[in-house]
Amino acid sequence: MKRLVVPSAVLVLYVLAAVFAPLIAPYDPDKVTLAQRLLPPGAHHWLGTDALGRDVLSRVIYGTQVSLLVAIGAVVVGGVVGVALGVIAGWRGGWLGAVIMRLVDIVLSVPFFLLAILVVAVLGPSLVNVVVCLALVRWPRYARVAHSATLQARGRGFVRAATATGAPGWWIVLRHVLPEVLPVSIVVATLELGLMVIYEASLSFLGLGVQPPTASWGSILSDGQQYIASAWWLATFPGIALFVLVLAVNLLGDAARDRLDPAKRADVARPRLLRRMARQTA
Amino acid sequence: MTALAVSARRRRTRSLPATPRYVAGRLAQAVLALFGVTTIVFFALRLSGDPARLLVPEGATAADIQRVRDQLGLSDSLWHQYVSFLGNAVHGDLGYSYVQNRPATALIAERLPYTANLAVAALILSVVFGVTIGVITALKRGKWQERVLMPIVLIGQAMPAFWTGLLLVLVFSVALRWLPSTGYDGPASLVLPAITLASLSAAAIARVTRGAVLEQLSQDYVRTAKAKGASTTRLVLRHLARNSTIPVLTVAALELANLLGGAVVTEVIFAWPGIGQLTIQSVSARDFPVVQAIVLFASAVYIVVNLLTDLLYGVIDRRVTAGGRGGAA
Amino acid sequence: MNRRRFRAALLLAAALALGAASCGIEPASAGRGSDTITIDTANYPSTLDPGKQYDTDTYSVYRNIFDQLLRRDPKTNAIKGWLATSWHQTDPLTWRFTMRKGVTFSDGSPLTAEDASYSISRILDKKFGSQQYANFSVIDKATADGGDLVVHTSVPSPTLLSYLTTLSVVPKAYVERVGNKQFAVKPIGSGPYVLQSATAGSEVVLTANPKWWGPAPQIRTAVFRAVPNVASRVADLQSRKVDLATTLTPDAADQIRRDPTLQILSTPTERVAYLAYNTIKGGPTNDPRVRKAIAEAIDYNAIIQNLERGYAKPINSMATPLAFGYDKSLPGDRHDPADAKRLLQQANAVGATLVMATSPSFDPQVVQAIQGDLAAVGLRVEIQNSDQATYLKKVQDPSHDWGSIRFGRWSCSCQDSDGVIYPLFHTGEIWSSYSNPDFDKIVEQARETIDPAKRISLYRQAFELLGKDRPGIGLFQAYAVYGANSRLIWTPDASESLFLDQMKVS
Repeated sequence: MKRLVVPSAVLVLYVLAAVFAPLIAPYDPDKVTLAQRLLPPGAHHWLGTDALGRDVLSRVIYGTQVSLLVAIGAVVVGGVVGVALGVIAGWRGGWLGAVIMRLVDIVLSVPFFLLAILVVAVLGPSLVNVVVCLALVRWPRYARVAHSATLQARGRGFVRAATATGAPGWWIVLRHVLPEVLPVSIVVATLELGLMVIYEASLSFLGLGVQPPTASWGSILSDGQQYIASAWWLATFPGIALFVLVLAVNLLGDAARDRLDPAKRADVARPRLLRRMARQTA
Repeated sequence: MTALAVSARRRRTRSLPATPRYVAGRLAQAVLALFGVTTIVFFALRLSGDPARLLVPEGATAADIQRVRDQLGLSDSLWHQYVSFLGNAVHGDLGYSYVQNRPATALIAERLPYTANLAVAALILSVVFGVTIGVITALKRGKWQERVLMPIVLIGQAMPAFWTGLLLVLVFSVALRWLPSTGYDGPASLVLPAITLASLSAAAIARVTRGAVLEQLSQDYVRTAKAKGASTTRLVLRHLARNSTIPVLTVAALELANLLGGAVVTEVIFAWPGIGQLTIQSVSARDFPVVQAIVLFASAVYIVVNLLTDLLYGVIDRRVTAGGRGGAA
Repeated sequence: MNRRRFRAALLLAAALALGAASCGIEPASAGRGSDTITIDTANYPSTLDPGKQYDTDTYSVYRNIFDQLLRRDPKTNAIKGWLATSWHQTDPLTWRFTMRKGVTFSDGSPLTAEDASYSISRILDKKFGSQQYANFSVIDKATADGGDLVVHTSVPSPTLLSYLTTLSVVPKAYVERVGNKQFAVKPIGSGPYVLQSATAGSEVVLTANPKWWGPAPQIRTAVFRAVPNVASRVADLQSRKVDLATTLTPDAADQIRRDPTLQILSTPTERVAYLAYNTIKGGPTNDPRVRKAIAEAIDYNAIIQNLERGYAKPINSMATPLAFGYDKSLPGDRHDPADAKRLLQQANAVGATLVMATSPSFDPQVVQAIQGDLAAVGLRVEIQNSDQATYLKKVQDPSHDWGSIRFGRWSCSCQDSDGVIYPLFHTGEIWSSYSNPDFDKIVEQARETIDPAKRISLYRQAFELLGKDRPGIGLFQAYAVYGANSRLIWTPDASESLFLDQMKVS
């Protein structure tokens, strides 16, 4: 129980910062003041100013909105799509399952940068499309986990029994399979959450992230990369915000895994578990 | 003889008859997947921009652009282009780079040694550190060692590659002058980019190792060995190492596949002339033949590695072949 | 069983590591002597065939291997003889060039007018597919006549000489013997340097050509490295890995100036940073009053001083002072936010939203500074950033559906107003979202007028018209900014070339 308190508090704090950003932030995060560019942290600007004279503290606070939105959005969209397809592939099997799982291979094998640039080129640049792009790249991770969890559930006694009584497939899936699939998917999702913020930063580095002047941790980090030697505060503070989030989410993920993972139950084959863990993290 | 090894041997003998058909099926699927990915990329690329516009000088006219399009064969119908692409691809001809005017396959072949070197170096680093940290954090679960080591690994994972890479350059090249900042000047040049890449994948490997070791620790044979008074070191080396290899190898194999596909950001920061830089350059220039060749290559590597790891499971866990009619992920 | 598999896996891993390590990648740059110079550029040259691409990082390398027909004086920018020693017009369409005697290619074969005419003809050859075709398309045919090169143009062309400064002369016999593909890999030229080695995507090494006709250059060996990231190029300079790094940002230049062993070399170029309006389907920017308001809303000096750190000069029109036809008497635009607000009210455009199309290759800081300036007078700017290929497709589409304003940088490599305002604003050109028959008539006429005085007066009319109608505004003249080790003695020139024979090391 104690393991959950600190990371949960951090997450709540982040959500509060995102929601109440306009109340907390000392300045307008997008206000350009060229005469005050690249000021180091001080009394007026606690975390300094960026290359356009914008207050870094305000941008980090506002950036929480976008970064959490992108991360949660990508995890939810990618997770729902991935789990749904994974369960269908695992439950139905046959050619449909094969097609879905090969699609998983296809998406995983295309270089991330290529996919990102194609999505942005075809859909146009926007916050929503960053989410779409990340979800499109990451859904296969969930699909794989859900697929193997479904296969495993199919082999279990109560599912076979339910099938034998002639219950409709969708009912068995909802009633018996999903409860087996969701815990492990949620574990994957917590691990993915932090990663999505990094991915968003990489998109910004390549100029494909959220559109300026919108602040996100990723865009502040990537704007700051050419100033690492001359203005350390630019990339350091969003970096710390990101690190604390990743740490909290990972701790929560570990705790959730210990609590939710069906491995704790008796009738699970060990190799299966090892394999699934390997996939989740890869 | 351990529980896992016993069950593995039993399953292996049972699943043998199914194996050739399973492998053939998977190979056929792999070829289809390759075909699928090339087809999707072929058409998506052509929706996303026009290479001719990037090739002409600034004052060019619409007619100049059309000339270049004609010359590159981009004025033909999409269908026509696709058929001729497939026809050539079957014969191993993936076309000429629009920008460099050389065979796309030759460009990849030139870059591959660099990417392979970096990938292997990064993989070795991340396996060494990841496994060590994973084992320690598992053995010292809940103790201070875990509380110190896990955040260190997570820092690596929470820092984007461009940030880690530049920081390393500032410290080890600019301030200390110990290691080259960019490019390839002998093995010393490998160190910084390999660390940058390894910091990203070490965390994944540490996590899996930790999970696998924890899993083993709860098994009866470990308890028995402990009760018999086996030392921790002996326990780790003799029993845990063997039985935790499979999941770690899995992650390592997938990481290797990812790394061979090119680490774009790291290669850009370190001016490393590998597949990653070639990818970003050819995608930016819409150098279709090169992009297609890279995608084909990266997919092939990925699918082969994936197939091999799946077969490894097939050996261990017969239900992969028996239960998942369409084959497992 | 398991142990055996584990051992096998270990063996496999070791084999992989060894295999990859011995996979034959060798350090390209040898130990460097005092007459060796190492240069970081952003990109690896697209080709070493001077008939193909003509972009800065590509020609910076190959222009050292080849001699150009004409060159510009690095100080005055005036066109001077190089391989052609003198020239004259025999009629409005015909130019006759006398070739330098005694020039040989590095394989010992003599360079003749035949080689010069071949160098032009192959660019015009559709099958060859030169990216420079547009620069030379005015040429009808080029022939060798005795020792002279004779160039016929289809219409009178005042900019022909400008473009001929970009023409590198290739050896006809060698190219025909080895073929274009091989030539691009193993080029032979008559220039001050020869190709020693090239590592794809990474390095090109040139060494001095002992047979060169000019005075022997002090630098014997030059290593060109491709380092795409600016911060990495700065680190290379700071760690003494390289002597010269190109295309630095102004902030990176500030950083380098703080290091006493490094120096910044810079020069104004013909590159103009500009805003172009969509006057056809731009919404609010269809109204000239809004276009004027935007021009008055921008704080040019703040951008030049704070963002460009002084590595830029104010200009009064779309061209730079280096361009033929630049008129320094024009008033230009002034920062006047109060008048901008008044104009917007008049035009009923207060609070309007403008879409600004841009791509990551155009300085994002300037784009956002403009966004801030426009917000201050009550215009909301929505930035749409897309990668270069997507951006070009959108902006150059004949539908003109790309937004209201765009920011860009322009250089025609011709130092002539024709190469700037004609493609940007003439009706129907791919870059133009403006249409004005009066303007079209003037620039069409100027394009075919040889008499310099007459051309200047035509461009004065053209710029006056653009100043009134404002289909675009020139923001500043951009500088080329290089970082260098203080041992390098070199004066960069406006053409953004890296002529090694003009460099020295102390």
